[in-house]
Amino acid sequence: MANQTPTVVMDNGTGFSKLGFAGNDSPSFVFPTAIATKGGAAGGGSGSGRPAVANKPSFLTGGAGPTGHLSMKRGTEDLDFFIGDEAIAAASGPGYGLHYPIRHGQIEDWDHMERFWSNSIFKYLRVEPEDHHFLLTEPPLNPPENRENTAEIFFESFNCAGLYIAVQAVLALAASWTSPKVTDRSLTGTVIDSGDGVTHVIPVAEGYVIGSSIKSIPIAGRDLTYFVQSLLRDRGEPDSSLRTAQEIKEAHCYVCPDIVKEFHKYDMDRSKFLQHVVRQPGGREVAVDVGYERFLAPEIFFNPEIYSSDFLTPLPVVVDGVIQSSPIDVRRGLYKNIVLSGGSTLYKDFGRRLQRDIKSLVDDRIHQSEVRSGGAKSGGLDVQVITHKRQRHGPWFGGSLLGQTPEFRSYCHTKAEYQEYGPSIVRRFALLGGPGGS
Amino acid sequence: MLLLDYQNVLIQSVLTERFAADASPVSIDQTVSDFDGVTFHISTPETRTQIMVSLQIRCYQDLVRYGAEEVLNREYGPYVVAPEPGYDFSILVDLENLPATPEERGELVNQIALLKRNAMAAPFEQAYQEHYHLKAEASKFTSEEAPQGMREGGAVKVVQYREEEAIYVKASHDRVTVIFSTVFREETDRVFGKVFIQEFVDARRRAIQNAPQVLFRNDPPLELHGVPGVKNTGTGEIGYVTFVLFPRHLTPQRMPDVISHIQTFRDYFHYHIKASKAYIHSRMRRRTADFLQVLRRARPDHEEKERKTASGRSFKAGV
Repeated sequence: MANQTPTVVMDNGTGFSKLGFAGNDSPSFVFPTAIATKGGAAGGGSGSGRPAVANKPSFLTGGAGPTGHLSMKRGTEDLDFFIGDEAIAAASGPGYGLHYPIRHGQIEDWDHMERFWSNSIFKYLRVEPEDHHFLLTEPPLNPPENRENTAEIFFESFNCAGLYIAVQAVLALAASWTSPKVTDRSLTGTVIDSGDGVTHVIPVAEGYVIGSSIKSIPIAGRDLTYFVQSLLRDRGEPDSSLRTAQEIKEAHCYVCPDIVKEFHKYDMDRSKFLQHVVRQPGGREVAVDVGYERFLAPEIFFNPEIYSSDFLTPLPVVVDGVIQSSPIDVRRGLYKNIVLSGGSTLYKDFGRRLQRDIKSLVDDRIHQSEVRSGGAKSGGLDVQVITHKRQRHGPWFGGSLLGQTPEFRSYCHTKAEYQEYGPSIVRRFALLGGPGGS
Repeated sequence: MLLLDYQNVLIQSVLTERFAADASPVSIDQTVSDFDGVTFHISTPETRTQIMVSLQIRCYQDLVRYGAEEVLNREYGPYVVAPEPGYDFSILVDLENLPATPEERGELVNQIALLKRNAMAAPFEQAYQEHYHLKAEASKFTSEEAPQGMREGGAVKVVQYREEEAIYVKASHDRVTVIFSTVFREETDRVFGKVFIQEFVDARRRAIQNAPQVLFRNDPPLELHGVPGVKNTGTGEIGYVTFVLFPRHLTPQRMPDVISHIQTFRDYFHYHIKASKAYIHSRMRRRTADFLQVLRRARPDHEEKERKTASGRSFKAGV
C-alpha cells in the first residue's frame, strides 16, 4: 500500500463538492461547487453560462479590437479564478462573478467545471493526476453523454491514470455497510437522499438503479429552514434571519413519534423550551426562544400539509409507492434495506419514525389482502430503515470505502483503454463491490 | 492561480482549526497526498491532544544523504519524534503545549504545512553552501591558475524524486545548476511542454533579463556525463530542463524563495500544460457552439416536401 498512491474520491454535488482520498473516514475538503471568474456573472448580456474566454475574439466577433487581441494572446485571464469558499469571498468584491457549474445534480457548464476540477486537483488536493486513480460520482439518470464529457476531460486534459464513475445512490448503499445492522453487504436497497434542494427516493437492485421508479419530493433542507424561519417570524423573535433558522434547525430539531402527544409534553414540561443565543454582527447577543419548531420542522416530511399546499404526500407513502412500482422480485430487498443519506436525514429518530410509518402501511396492506383471500396467512415483510454514522457525506464515504479496496483499480478504465475505444467506453463500468467483488 | 502554493493546504486547514484557542480536541486520522507521490498521515495516535504528522517521500534516502535530517531538525527541532512505521519522518505537536500567541501558532502551522518543501530543500541548501565555499576558494585564484577541481565544481547531487524523473543539482564557484529530467507519457503533452519551455527561454531574452537561464534539450547535458542512472536513450523521450542560477539568485536572503520556486517547477509545468488544455478546450466548445448557431440559421424556414398521390405518382402543386 505504501507505494500505491491513494485513489482520489470526488463527489461534486449541486451545492457542495466533497473531495478527499480513499481510505479516510471523512472528505478532506467540503466546499461550495462555485467558481468565481473575472468579468461578472452576467457580463456582456451573454448570460451567466459564458466563460471568461468568451471575450476572446472568435470568428464571429473577429477584430473586436486589435490591441485587445495582442494583450489577450499573452494574458492569463483563464487562470484568474477562484473556487469554493474563496470564490464566494471573491465574488462579494468587485470584478468577479459567481457561477455554479452544476445544476440539479448535473453538470451544465463544462468550461467552468473543467477549471473547477483543475483547481481542486492542483490547489487543494495537490496531486499529480497522472499518478492517481479517480472515483467520481454522478446522479441517477445522468445522461451517458455527460459521462463521456467527463471522461474526455479527465483523460484528455488531466491524463488521469484511471477513472471510475459511480452512481451516488449506489455509493450511499455501500456507505451503509458500516452500520452493524447490515450483515450481507448487498447492493440492493432504497436510498432516501435528502440534501438541500430536493429529496430523492431511489430504488437500487443489485447495484443498478431502477430508473423508472425514482421519485422526487420537493421538500428538503432548505424548506425546513424556511419553515423554522416562518415560525420564528410568527412569534416575533428578535432575530429571525435565515442563518439563525438554519442554526436552530441543525442544533435542536428532532423527530417525534406523535405530534399531538409531543405538544402535550411541551405544555407539561417547560424545560423542553430552549433558548438559542445568536451573535449578531456588531457583537450584540440576542436570545431566541426555541419551542415547537424543534419537532415541527422535520415533521413536514411526514405531514407536508403543515408546510406546503401543493405537495401533500408524506415521505413514508412515497417510499412505499416507489417500492411498489419496482419489479416484484426485488421488493422484499428494497423494504429490508432502506438507507438514509444526506444532511436532512440526520435528525434524531428520523429513521425510527420512517420505519414505523412504512411498517404500518405495509402491515395494513398485508392485513387487507389476508382478509380478502379469506383465511390465508402472510409470512410478514421485513421493513428496516438503516441509520448510520456516515449519512452526511454518504456517497463520498461509500466512494472512499470502495476506492481503497485492492481490486478497485481493475474496475477503472485506463487512459490506454480510453484511447482504444473512445469516450463511449465510460458508458459501461463493471459493478464495483457487486457479486464477486470485495 | 498562476503559481502553485508550496504548503499543503489540508495540513494547514486541519492544524489551524485544531490550534484555535476554543477548539475541542477530536481524533484525526487522515491520509493525504501531495505532489510527486508524497504521502502525509495526520493522526492522533495516543491522545486527542497530540497530533502526529508523518511524511513519506520516495527519495528520502537521497535526501538524507544530502543533509535532510539537519534541515528538518533545524526547522522542527523540538517536535521531531521517531518516525511512524511506514513513514520516513514524523513530528508530534502537543495541543496543550502550544505557543501562546495566535501569531506564533500561525507560524507553526505554516511551518508544518511546508514539511515537504523543507524536506526537499536539503540538497539545494547543501549546494548553496558548497557554492559559497567554492566561491571563497576561487577568489584566491585567477581563472587561469585555478586548480582542476575548482573549475568543475562539486559533485552532482541526484534526487530521484519520481520513478523515472530526477533532479540533479550541481554547485560550482560561479553558479548552481539545477537539471530536471522530464518524461512525457503523452505525445501532445510533449508538444505542449516544448512550447512552454520555449516561452521560458524567450522570457529571459525578451523582458526579464535577471531570470535564471533556462535550457532545454533531449539528450543529457554535459554536466550529467558519468552520473550513474543517467541514460541516453537517444529517442528523445526524456527531456532535460536546465536552470542556471547565477550569483544574483544565490544570496542567502533569496535562498528560501528560490528553493521553493524551483522545487515546484515540475508540478507548475504540468499544471500549466493542463490549464492550457482546459483553455483550448473551452475555446473549442465555444467555437462549436458558434458553428452550430450558424448551421441553425442556415436551415430553410419550411422545406418543400414531395407530395404523392395515393397511387404513388408525384406531382407539383399548382401555384
